[in-house]
Amino acid sequence: MNIIVCMKQVPDTAARIKIKGDGKGIETSGVSYVVNPYDEYAVEEALRLKEKAGGEVVVISLGPDRATEAIRTCLAMGADRGVHLKDPSFEDADPFVTAQLLAKALSGMDYDLILCGKQAVDDNACFVGPALAEGLGIPQATVITKLTLAEDAKSVTVEREVEGGREVLQLPLPALVTAQKGLNEPRYASLPGIMKAKKKEIKVMDAAAVGVSGDDVKQKIETVSLSPAPERTAGKIIPGEPSEAVKELVRLLKEEAKAL
Amino acid sequence: MAEKDERSFCKALFEGKIDEELVFPYPHLTGEDAENLHLIIDSVGKFCRDKVHGEAIDKEKRIPEEVIGGLSELGLMGMIIPEAYSGFALTQRAYCRVIEELSCFNASVAVTVGGHQSIGFKGLLLFGTEEQKQKYLPRLATGEWMAAFCLTEPGAGSDAQGLKATAVRKGDHYLLNGSKQWVTNGGLADFFTVFAQTEVDVKGEKKKRVTAFMVTKEMAGITIGPEEKKMGIRGSSTTPVIFENVKVPVENLLGEEGNGFKVAMEVLNSGRLGLASGCVGAARTMIETSVAHAKEREQFGRPIAEFEMIQEKIARMVVNTYAMESATYMTAGLADRGDVDFSLESAISKVFSTDRVWEVINDALQIMGGNGYMEEYPHERFMRDARINMIFEGTNEILRLFIALAGLQGPGEKLKEVAQAIKDPLHNFGQLADYAVRKITSLAGDRISRADSLLEDEYRRVEEYARQLPDAAEKVIRRYRKKIVEKEFLLERIAEMVSDLYVMTCVISRVTSAIQEKGVDAAETEIHICKTFCNFAWRRIRRNNRMIDRNDDKILVDIAKSTLEKAAYPV
Repeated sequence: MNIIVCMKQVPDTAARIKIKGDGKGIETSGVSYVVNPYDEYAVEEALRLKEKAGGEVVVISLGPDRATEAIRTCLAMGADRGVHLKDPSFEDADPFVTAQLLAKALSGMDYDLILCGKQAVDDNACFVGPALAEGLGIPQATVITKLTLAEDAKSVTVEREVEGGREVLQLPLPALVTAQKGLNEPRYASLPGIMKAKKKEIKVMDAAAVGVSGDDVKQKIETVSLSPAPERTAGKIIPGEPSEAVKELVRLLKEEAKAL
Repeated sequence: MAEKDERSFCKALFEGKIDEELVFPYPHLTGEDAENLHLIIDSVGKFCRDKVHGEAIDKEKRIPEEVIGGLSELGLMGMIIPEAYSGFALTQRAYCRVIEELSCFNASVAVTVGGHQSIGFKGLLLFGTEEQKQKYLPRLATGEWMAAFCLTEPGAGSDAQGLKATAVRKGDHYLLNGSKQWVTNGGLADFFTVFAQTEVDVKGEKKKRVTAFMVTKEMAGITIGPEEKKMGIRGSSTTPVIFENVKVPVENLLGEEGNGFKVAMEVLNSGRLGLASGCVGAARTMIETSVAHAKEREQFGRPIAEFEMIQEKIARMVVNTYAMESATYMTAGLADRGDVDFSLESAISKVFSTDRVWEVINDALQIMGGNGYMEEYPHERFMRDARINMIFEGTNEILRLFIALAGLQGPGEKLKEVAQAIKDPLHNFGQLADYAVRKITSLAGDRISRADSLLEDEYRRVEEYARQLPDAAEKVIRRYRKKIVEKEFLLERIAEMVSDLYVMTCVISRVTSAIQEKGVDAAETEIHICKTFCNFAWRRIRRNNRMIDRNDDKILVDIAKSTLEKAAYPV
């Protein structure tokens, strides 16, 4: 059972994000980075499958130098080796280009299952997983909360939460699934894991190694502008006796906030 | 370990020397060590955010098993154990950083992990034989066994020589009897490092000497007393441990018979660093929480963060924390070198950090206003948790005496030699010349050349007061000779002077590295912190130096005496 996990390094969810002067990107200095939380579910699920069915877990990530650290974290959790797609020409890769580059890089590899997070929490595009499955021409199931491998290891059964209910799907392998919160509880990288990770391989693939050039890596989707969420406005205190104040609150909720 | 010819930055200061090579460049972890540490801290932080609930631990007075188990699984019980014994061979710096991270969340958890390895099994690590290490360390590394350090007794606290516990040799074992109290991890431990008096032959005479033993829980005759009801660190286990006719096999002797005092001192030397780093963690949390509050809380129509008295407190917290952090990790770096005596530096780090974190918490709590006093916020708990730091692993008083007296030993010995030499100048010319030479080099050469020139005002102050420290030392030795050991007012001042000099040096070294690595602009805040800290520090040094001659010591003693006589408020 060879499993590939696609992982993106994203700004720490607790980090304060500032928009760059040109309004098209974010200030990266002073920002700390982490493994995309949804990708952690993917890594954990891959490790659990490997523990049951054997095989290998490979983590692949596209990103600048710093992404090595996120790959290392996944190796410390227990993944066997890493692949780092890194090239100056990849720096502006949009989700479409990213999916195509991943598809190219993976086309030469041996895999039964590809796991992705359902979305990266930085751009929330929810794009790369499905586009990669399309690129590879394999079946996919998105936003899964449960995964079971068939006895014969030829298919997986997954559960998805859908509006008001639950959907169960079966997919023949090889397939791609994207992980939703609730799929599992990711393990913490332990000291033994971190020490072992030192000895694990991270293979770097540049544009030539992936087999792309020029137009292949040219941005297809342009960011027009980024703007911060509006600042929270001051709260309102309703004075007076509780019974009076409640009446006023209900009125405001109805008329001003239109919440009722 | 603290042998005579090992270098020591602070002991050299007492001779007016600045051993620059020991403190420049600042010993930041680099390369693979730094990368690994980053991963470890990420993971520990994530674990704590998910699983460590400080308020509940305080209320329920226990750490959930899931947390202790989780920490063991993360590998945090064997951080400093060599890989050959199933540990992870972390540096002191990395170890301290993990304790710091745990302390950001909860002091009880940090004390449990620290009590286990900073002191619990540290004696085994430092003094154990190969066989002993093979036997016990792997189990301790995984957390299958927890360790505790049993030194303090009802009648022997700071005066560790006054132990009552005894161990009497009976053939292939010792019979251990005694009561230990306030044992950290007492209720959890399977492995106890125990100190007891044994009879030792000293030049044909039987003398009582302290000896260290490794006692394990399965040995019959051990009783764990009830959990103490404490002001803070309530989730940690603190109990009496009573040993009644416990048969301890001879092979469980730790170090040589009669050498227990040295074992205890060495263990505490490095153990104190863990404590100091814990203070840094607590301080960071206090800064974060109080600053968030200051930005949000509005009074008189604007956030209180805009008021200068709040800003003053914020700045003071940051300066204090930076100074504690700089001293602690410098000292951990010295410990990692393995070839220097860092006993004074670790005592300074402990005293300085535990005193300062109390100030930081006080400032943070004050910024919080009424909220800070309430249980819903972490500040009152952090304050309760932090109070023990000034008491355990050597009270700050006993450590100040240690810092001063250990430092004075150097100049003291030389004065004896000089006194002798004056009687017989020709015969002892060699020694005298040596002393004279030392005097000259210390006056001429002891400059700081590796600090950034932007910090010149600051490092010149270090040089200036490093020249004055030996004069102060010699003055008090000449004046009081052997009686100096009783002159605690003066010793405290000397200890404070050398502490401030050391911490200034640590801060200057660290900021120099920051300037080199990030450039002046990015290091601006750190430069400001350095200038502020050094300004306060050199003024304190100057005041302490002056007060060696001009002080109110006698009046203070009189007030204390009349109070003691009445055993009440004397007025």
